[in-house]
Parts: sequence; C-alpha cells; structure tokens
Amino acid sequence: MINNVTEPGLQRETVLVSERKNAYYRRIRMIKRILTHAVLILVALFAIFPIYYIIVNSLSPLATLASVSVTSMVPTLSRISFDNYQALFAYQHGVLLRTWLTNTLIYAGTSSLLGIGLSITSGIGLSRFRIPGKKAILYMLLILSTFPFVIMIIPFYDMFSTLHLTNSYIGLIIPYSAGAVIFAAWMNKNYVDSIPRDFEEAAQIDGYSRTQALFRVLVPMTMPVIILTLLLAFFGPYTDYAFINVLVSKNSLWNMALGMYATTQISSNAINYGMFSAFAVIMGLPIFIIFIIFQKYLVSGFSITMYK
Amino acid sequence: MDMFRRESTVSKVRASYEWKGMLFILPVLAVLAFLDFYPLGISIFLSLTNRSIAHLFVYQIVGLRNYAAIIGSGELFRILEQTAVWSAGSIVLMAGFGFLLALLMNQPGIRGNRIYRTAYLVPWAYPAFITILVWRGLLDYQLGFVNKFLALFGISKIFWLGLPSMAMFSMMFVNLWLSFPYYTYVYTASLQSVPKELYDAAKMDGYGTFGVLGNVTLPLLKRQIAFITVFGFVFTWNNFYIPYLLTNGGPGTSTYILVSYTYYEQTALLQYGIASAYAIVSVLFLLVFVILINRYTKMMSVLY
Repeated sequence: MINNVTEPGLQRETVLVSERKNAYYRRIRMIKRILTHAVLILVALFAIFPIYYIIVNSLSPLATLASVSVTSMVPTLSRISFDNYQALFAYQHGVLLRTWLTNTLIYAGTSSLLGIGLSITSGIGLSRFRIPGKKAILYMLLILSTFPFVIMIIPFYDMFSTLHLTNSYIGLIIPYSAGAVIFAAWMNKNYVDSIPRDFEEAAQIDGYSRTQALFRVLVPMTMPVIILTLLLAFFGPYTDYAFINVLVSKNSLWNMALGMYATTQISSNAINYGMFSAFAVIMGLPIFIIFIIFQKYLVSGFSITMYK
Repeated sequence: MDMFRRESTVSKVRASYEWKGMLFILPVLAVLAFLDFYPLGISIFLSLTNRSIAHLFVYQIVGLRNYAAIIGSGELFRILEQTAVWSAGSIVLMAGFGFLLALLMNQPGIRGNRIYRTAYLVPWAYPAFITILVWRGLLDYQLGFVNKFLALFGISKIFWLGLPSMAMFSMMFVNLWLSFPYYTYVYTASLQSVPKELYDAAKMDGYGTFGVLGNVTLPLLKRQIAFITVFGFVFTWNNFYIPYLLTNGGPGTSTYILVSYTYYEQTALLQYGIASAYAIVSVLFLLVFVILINRYTKMMSVLY
C-alpha cells in the first residue's frame, strides 16, 4: 500500500497512521498478554491449593476439620508443630503404619517389576513380527482397557479363594501384575513402532542373529517406555483401595490406602483431621516427588505411547 | 488358474507367519486368557444366576431374570442416566478447559511457560486417592474450607455434597481439578504437532485467532481430539474413586454411577448376580459406544 504513495506529505501521514495503528495493536497485545497471565496464574493457584492446604494443615496443631480456617492457611513459623506426625507415628506404637508401608512397597514393587519384566518383549513381538491374529490381539488390548475393573472382582475372589490365595501377598500381586502387563504391552508396542528398523538391521549386518539384534539393540532402546510403564505400574497398587478391600481382610496385610481410610475415619469428616493430613503428606509426597523427577518420561511418554 | 494363484498366496502368508513372535508375547497371551477372558466368562455366567450372600455356594441359573429385575425396577436406567450425566458433564468440562488452557499456553511469546507447566502438574502428580479425600474435607458444608473462604465475600454456605444436583456438580468439579493437567498436556502435544508454517500461511491469508483455530488447527487435529475425548469419556465412565470417595453415592443414591453402584452391590448388598448384570450392561454399553463412534470418526486410525 505504501509503495503506491509518491507524495512526501501523504507518505508522512500514512506513516503516522500506521504508527498509531501499531500503538493500538501493541496495546491490544499487551492487554491480551496480561489477561492470559492472569488466567494462567489463577489456574496455577487452583491447581496447587489443595496440596498446599494439606501440607499446612499437617504442620499446624490441628485437632479437627473445625479448626481449619482462612487464617490458619497463612503459615507462621511460630505455629509450626509436628504434633500430627508424632500422633501418627505413635499410633499403635507405629507397628501398623510400618506394616502398611512395607506391604504397600511389597505389592507395588513386586507387581510392577514382575508385570513390566514380563512385558519387555511384548512390544517387539507385536510390532516387529507377523504374528497370526495380531490385529485381533491389539483390538482386544484396547477393548479390554475400556472394561470397568469391577467386572473382575467377584471372579478374582472366586478364583483366588479356590486357590487359597485370598489374604496373601501373591493373591494381590497376580492381579496387579496382570493389569500392568496389559497396558505395558500396548504402550510398548506403540513405542517400538516409532523406532526405525534401521538399527536392528544394521546389527544384523554386523553379524548378530535376528533375536540377538532385537534383544541387544532394540530392547535397550525401549528404556524410556520401560521406565514409564514401571512407574505407572507402581502408582496403581500404591493407592489401590478397591481390589485390596475385597481380597484382603486382615489388617496386617493392608496397604497404606486401606490403613489411612480406616484409622483417620475420614468417612466422618470431623475426626482425626490432623492425623489424616499427616498421613496424606507422608503417603502422597514420595509419589509426588517421583512424578516430578520423572515428569519427562511420564508426560511426553503418554502422548507417544497412547496414540500417535 | 486364478483360484490356484490365490490359494498359493494364502499359503505363502501362512508360511510367512513368524511363530517365534508368539514367544515374545506369551505373557500377554497368558494374561489375556487366564486373567481377563476367563474371569469375564465367569462374570457373564454369574449375571445369569441368582448368586448372592444368601445363595453363596448353592445357586441356580435364572436366565435373564437379573436383567429383567434391574430394568423393571427402573434402577438401571436411573444409574445409567447418572453415569451419562457424570461422564458427559465431566468430559465437556475437562476437555474444554484443557483445550483452552493449551491454546493459551501455546500463544507465541508467553513467558514463564515452564513455571505454569510445573504448577499444572501438581494435581496429576499427587495420588488421586488422597486428593479426593482432601477435596471431601474442603467441600464439607459445616466445616469445609471452601465455605469458610466464600464467607469472606458474604456468600452463604453451599451444600456442595449434600444436595443431589450440587453433589453431581462437585464430583465433576473435583474431576476437573484432577484431570485438566492431563488434557492440557495431550492437547499441547497435539497442537505442537501442527507445522508452524501452516499458522503463518493462515495469518497471511488474513485469518484472525478464531479463523486459524477453525480453519487450520481443528480440522488437522480432528482425529486426535476425537480419540483423546472418546477415551477420556470411557475412562470417566469407569472412574471409580471420585464417586466412591467423594460422595459415596449420596445423598441417597443420587451420585452412584455404574461402576460404583456395581461395587456397592458387590461389597455392601452382596448381590453377586445382580452386580454382575450391572457390570455386563456397562461393558455392552461401552462396546457399542466405541464401535459407533469409530464408525463415524474413524478415530482408531490414529493407532495404525
């Protein structure tokens, strides 16, 4: 537009107009940016608040939910107390808490290692081999992931009581690992799909057999998805309530979730809120820290492995 | 002649099956057979029996009587309706909010993006089992922090969990808190998969923000968005912990959804036959839903 203008006076005028226009656009952009940040900050506060709330509560000398107030949310150094933690650790001399922590680690640790160990090769099998009925298997994996877990509860209870596996570690590790195998196979397959075949073919040219090439070259390359699925397989049993509630009745076999639900009597809000807060922090913070450390795998891994 | 050729290709395909691959997926096949399909079969069978705590070991096949009973009493349709409201309401809130947030964060030149991203990870990173219980305390009518906070602005106490419609809304709200990080992240990932040149080209053609969104972004990401949203719907449909821990179905039975109601029938009412019938209905419903949606959107093609 400016190119067509020849007269100097007119040119200056258009420059002025365009400058004014620029200033206008800049202001609009400023307002847009400020609004964007305002929204983003509000959402961030919304996201963080409940965790902040429970941490502050756990460090305040609180007895019940009634003593939580707007002012008690403002932390002051002089009011920090560890009473709630002491009360929690002193509960039944700390025996039950230790047992539940150990149990949780046994359930989550064993089943994630077992489940993911068994599914390390599944992605390669489903991605690289022409297996008969492969498409059917893939559809089944996907369809099964849409089934509600409650459909399994009674059959599992039946099967395990016939095998005398209710109220035992194995009786829980089996269903947890089984769940892990299914979603890990699916994620593994999608991840292996995204790796070019060149690497294993190069290894074969170098003299490896096909199986050797797959195990020595391709399996190490799937490390990110192995870590991702390992973490996810750990998180599930760590906070499982629904399955263990049915399959285990002795409190010496409970995990932390069952223990927390029972001891703090959270179902009636007014009781033991301080202890609940301490429990919530002790049980949740480790998972939170692991998640933040491995967020690269967890967050980007999701989008690579769930869909492409 | 032609027939022979076809036969030979069939046998060639069969010969080229790599049976060794079966070894690689043996654990998967074992789990599928013994820990998925076998229990599923038992569940279907149980839904046709009168098994309950009163008939624990000696029970009879009663055909479709369980299904007839839950349809006849109107209970099934009520729970189905609640499940549908819960799933649809949640997914609209979560996916909409997540997509808007992803759009906001994807604008060029927004500073502090990393800080926001980390903050938004918090609800995803903290175990949901705990945070749902925390929300239960926060939303308490008499003692909860939310009502105390609102009182500062002169807003009178709200029955967050005590009225049927409010309880359903509160469940969706807590679900929004729990799930928006996931949707924001996956939508961000798919937004970033759109080549930048396309945006520039669209801007050159004179499209504004919404023009670019409607003419470039959405058409390109249609399938991915459909896939994410549909599976989000299915996941919400099966979401157990929010309905169970936040309201435990109450007030009355107004916030039970199929999953939590099945669990309630199994663990509190101990009606195993009826419970299985509810579970099977849920499965059938989801199967039909996924197949129908796939027919219209072909979203499964994202996977191959």
